[in-house]
Amino acid sequence: MATNQTSVERVDDAVVRSFARAAVLAALMGAAVMVGSIPIPFSPVPVSLGVLVVYLMGLYLGPVWGPASVGLYLTAGAVGLPVFANGTSGLGVLVGDTAGYLWAYLIAALVIGALIHGRGQLENPAETSVPVLAAVLLAALTIIYALGTVWLGYMLKLSTIEALNLGVVPFIPGDLLKIVAAIAIVKGGRIDPT
Amino acid sequence: MIEFRSVSYAFDDVPVLEDVSLSIDDGEFVLLAGANGSGKTTLLRHCNGLLTPDSGTVRVDGTPVEDDLIAARSSVGMVFQHPRDQFVSATVGADIAFGPENLGLERTEIDRRVDAALAAVNMTGREDDRIDALSGGEQSRVAIAGALAMEPTHLVLDEPFTGLDDPARRSVLERLASLAADGTGVLLATHDLRDVCELADRVIAMRDGRVVVDGPPANALGDLDGLEVRVPSG
Amino acid sequence: MLTYEPDDTFAHRLDPRTKLAVQIGFAATALAHPTPWALLVLSALTGLVMAGAGVSLRRTLVAYRFALLVLALAPVLSGVTLGAPWFDRAAATASGLASYRVLLVLLVSAAYVRSTPVRDSRAAIQRTIPGKPGQLLGVGVALVFRFLPVLRSDLRTIRETMAARLGTERGAVDRASTIGMLGLSRAFDRADRLSLALQARCFAWNPTLPPLAFSRADYPVLVVAVVLACSAVI
Repeated sequence: MATNQTSVERVDDAVVRSFARAAVLAALMGAAVMVGSIPIPFSPVPVSLGVLVVYLMGLYLGPVWGPASVGLYLTAGAVGLPVFANGTSGLGVLVGDTAGYLWAYLIAALVIGALIHGRGQLENPAETSVPVLAAVLLAALTIIYALGTVWLGYMLKLSTIEALNLGVVPFIPGDLLKIVAAIAIVKGGRIDPT
Repeated sequence: MIEFRSVSYAFDDVPVLEDVSLSIDDGEFVLLAGANGSGKTTLLRHCNGLLTPDSGTVRVDGTPVEDDLIAARSSVGMVFQHPRDQFVSATVGADIAFGPENLGLERTEIDRRVDAALAAVNMTGREDDRIDALSGGEQSRVAIAGALAMEPTHLVLDEPFTGLDDPARRSVLERLASLAADGTGVLLATHDLRDVCELADRVIAMRDGRVVVDGPPANALGDLDGLEVRVPSG
Repeated sequence: MLTYEPDDTFAHRLDPRTKLAVQIGFAATALAHPTPWALLVLSALTGLVMAGAGVSLRRTLVAYRFALLVLALAPVLSGVTLGAPWFDRAAATASGLASYRVLLVLLVSAAYVRSTPVRDSRAAIQRTIPGKPGQLLGVGVALVFRFLPVLRSDLRTIRETMAARLGTERGAVDRASTIGMLGLSRAFDRADRLSLALQARCFAWNPTLPPLAFSRADYPVLVVAVVLACSAVI
């Protein structure tokens, strides 16, 4: 065949595999935000399963492809796919009042991936103990709350307490529930990412 | 030509292919029959280097596959089960263009190939259709067009009829037969040989990772008993 | 829902990179100047941008209604105090202006969303961000677009199946983990099939890029974008 094939730089098969998973999980996150809301006891806000997918990205894709997957999700939303909360999209959401939470997902996935997998090969997260999983996920949630609250306060000129009341307190029960759900998924052991 | 020479392959220490030797010429329409788990899919994935043999060699047009994966993958177009998961774009034309774009071709050449591939599967003018709006049969044909746009010498298909009704199945089959008549080698894996035998030049059957039958359909059909393959009745 | 709509407005004819530049410039200056005068000027500009993209104000506000709720609550929360004077008007005003600029930024980005198909955004990403990250991000966005409806219907099916088996009677944790686990395992199955298709189609770091070109209308708009960005630091 007379093509300039010698100049084609093939993406390594292992990279393709990780990349495909990152892209499909980014789509799963968009789908979960839209479809996934579950009413929970003791909370006025029904909770979407979006953050659960962030946990899973870190747990199952690791410190490189987990954040990459979040990055694809954010980019897809920025250019107009309806993947942000309540089916919204647009670059404005990524600089708006709730942008801190979204950007924090990147760091959360990175931290979860790094603490569970280290820098080497992907491990099966099912081999991590429950207390460690719980501590790691709580740390990730704390990062999301911290960045989200700081940005919300800055953007809307609110004090820290006011920002916490608006952007964190109503969501605590749902977010804890999602941590328990994430641990149940990992310990269920049905999925092995290695 | 695709050529297997004493190829063996094991997965988790379980042998999946054992000493497989065969060859498929350009323009030949070959059926690969066998029950689920007989090794068909594993064999197909050696044709373009998605899997590498533990021992033995696979050559495409004389070159060992692992020596030039780009050449192997552009010469051997591959269509998998579940076409819905193989598309990279939301619209037909953009998806078919994906392969030629990866070869770094000029845009005018890519457009020409997209048109030609659509014509080859009887879907001229449908490039702006949304893939999710297509029927199962049409999705299969778009997947085939995506492979054809690489202008391969061979087309390898793994159970492309899963989930298709009989008319859709027949229309895909007719397209394959006419591609083979125009010189593309076709290797079609299926466990359902109804109404495909009269189109094929040869039937290869597998059991437990070995080739147990290799010959023209008229001779081969009698040897397929016990292989859990649906054969034409009567 | 806010999404791309085919049309022939001024904004639809602009290059996606121009529209991205305007959004960035606008957001930068809106964030830097939450003052009444600046917001008055920016409101007029927002009106122009929306008209130029054929965006309906009412429909956009409906699409962002949950975000608007937070924006409306912020000044109230900020103004209310636990002791005398019970309501701090200065704090409420500052917070109200800050909320209003967020609304303007959202409205301007709605103009991009309505006027820009995903393939244009993908082209802009691949042509603006250099090297491997740009390629992965561009193709990745196309893949998210492609798989979003597929996974949405997966999740819907999982929920319906659970409801049919009285899954709604089970605890919230149980339901969340079941949906999450089934959703994740299906997503991994799909991703692994997609990965084979990408490999078979020679997924490359240096493909032919999607076509994209500035036209004459882009240049004055780019100047506006630069002026906006510069005004952020004044």
